[in-house]
Amino acid sequence: MRRAPVLLLVAVLLSASSMGSANPNGVGQGTFDAQCGGACHGDADMNRSSSSTVVVNAPATAYEGLPTSVSVTISDIETTVSGLLGVFLLSDMTGAGDTPADAGWDILSNSEGGDENYVEITVAPGETQRTLTWTLRAPSIGEHPLHAAIHHGTESGEEAPFFGASAQPALVEVVAVPENLPRLSSSFSPPVVRDVGEPSTLRLDTVSVQSVEVEWRLVGGPINTAVVSSTGPDAWTFELPSSLQPTTLEWRAHLGGEGPEQTTPWFTLQSEEPSWEVDETAAYVQSMTLLFVFMVAFMSLHRRTVAPQEEKHDAFEEVEY
Amino acid sequence: MVSAPTLHVVSTELAVGSFAMAGVAFVLAGVASHGWLNLKRHLKLADHVAHFALAFGLLAMPFAMITGIQSSPGEGVDHPLLINKMFLGSAAIGLALGVLLTRRRLGEHVWSDAWGRRWQSLGGLSAVGLVLLTASIGGTFTRGESLLDLLKLPYETVPLMPVWLSGIVLLVAVGNLLAMRRERTA
Repeated sequence: MRRAPVLLLVAVLLSASSMGSANPNGVGQGTFDAQCGGACHGDADMNRSSSSTVVVNAPATAYEGLPTSVSVTISDIETTVSGLLGVFLLSDMTGAGDTPADAGWDILSNSEGGDENYVEITVAPGETQRTLTWTLRAPSIGEHPLHAAIHHGTESGEEAPFFGASAQPALVEVVAVPENLPRLSSSFSPPVVRDVGEPSTLRLDTVSVQSVEVEWRLVGGPINTAVVSSTGPDAWTFELPSSLQPTTLEWRAHLGGEGPEQTTPWFTLQSEEPSWEVDETAAYVQSMTLLFVFMVAFMSLHRRTVAPQEEKHDAFEEVEY
Repeated sequence: MVSAPTLHVVSTELAVGSFAMAGVAFVLAGVASHGWLNLKRHLKLADHVAHFALAFGLLAMPFAMITGIQSSPGEGVDHPLLINKMFLGSAAIGLALGVLLTRRRLGEHVWSDAWGRRWQSLGGLSAVGLVLLTASIGGTFTRGESLLDLLKLPYETVPLMPVWLSGIVLLVAVGNLLAMRRERTA
């Protein structure tokens, strides 16, 4: 009777090695503190310093509540065989409560098709540099630093996880918006993802704007112009073409009015294959059902075959060696 | 530290290798139990190899499943291939458990009954077939192709029942299992 606990203990010990192997396939995009750069791999003290260089670039000045663009460039990239690299945009480096949202920033989009501060990218073999961009709505008036950090594994899959951060933060001076500055409405929130094959009609709500011109481009491609229609005072619509395959489209608007003309940052719109969803509870229950049904059904087939109770039957009696 | 994908490959090879050996032994045992090809004298050997290999493969399967879940991208089961893999794996475990429990209950007598020997060898072979199909889906998921693609099986179609129907079938199955147990102890 002691075999069951022993077997259970052995099973737990055997599986413990894989359960403790952090997240070698990543955790996907999300809103994470920098501490996750250590916590996802166990203890932050276990981290080693990454040899990659991380530089964060942002405009020196931004208007309160208006979108601005921040880029993070990682050079001398080192990562695992799969090329997975996690990149954080942070408001400080304390390790907790340090997402941009904690400092009042509002992430509208990132270049990987999301609106989170942490993204995971796959670096191609031989690629040593990559630049990611975030578009954020600026917080309240004042000076706001922005940091960037990365974490990754090694090609051999051994040793400790690696963590790296920007040496200097990008300091953004957030100033008050001039009264007649043509700008996007504070309620405007751009879409960041859409299905492949689906055209997008976007509505722009603006303030103090008399004319709008919209440009769009595929990453690395030429710039095109979209036709913009006015649907009312400070309300505009335009259509972005559908994509035939998963790709990233960027767009921006030139806003004209009485004040100085303004150009928004590039907003990212990711096209993805329609996601597949299933009721996981139903799947797990059906899985358990299949296990029992197949077991019971097979055992029922043998119900007529009764083991002899009295005399010991030897089915191998004719065995000759 | 060894990564989950590497452990998954190791545990999968253990499971599939054991099941493949069990499959060959079940064929041999089926043929020997019928006295065909003058193999009767190998029945004991084939019986032991088949059931031990099946039991070992069954032990390796949970490790393959745990490491497989850890090494799959994203969270949860979000692809029809993964759902079908889970269904086939569960059916294979159930069938293999049925084969092993039957062998334990009936002992070697399972081979002396005319229908018993047919069900036992076919049941073992079916469990092996389901595991190989499960492994084939894994190959299709990770590499986009598999040897069993020749059969053009509808991997992308998920035959999902509503929870209430699965629950009722599960209750019937468990009830049947308890009835069988009571029948034997009476």
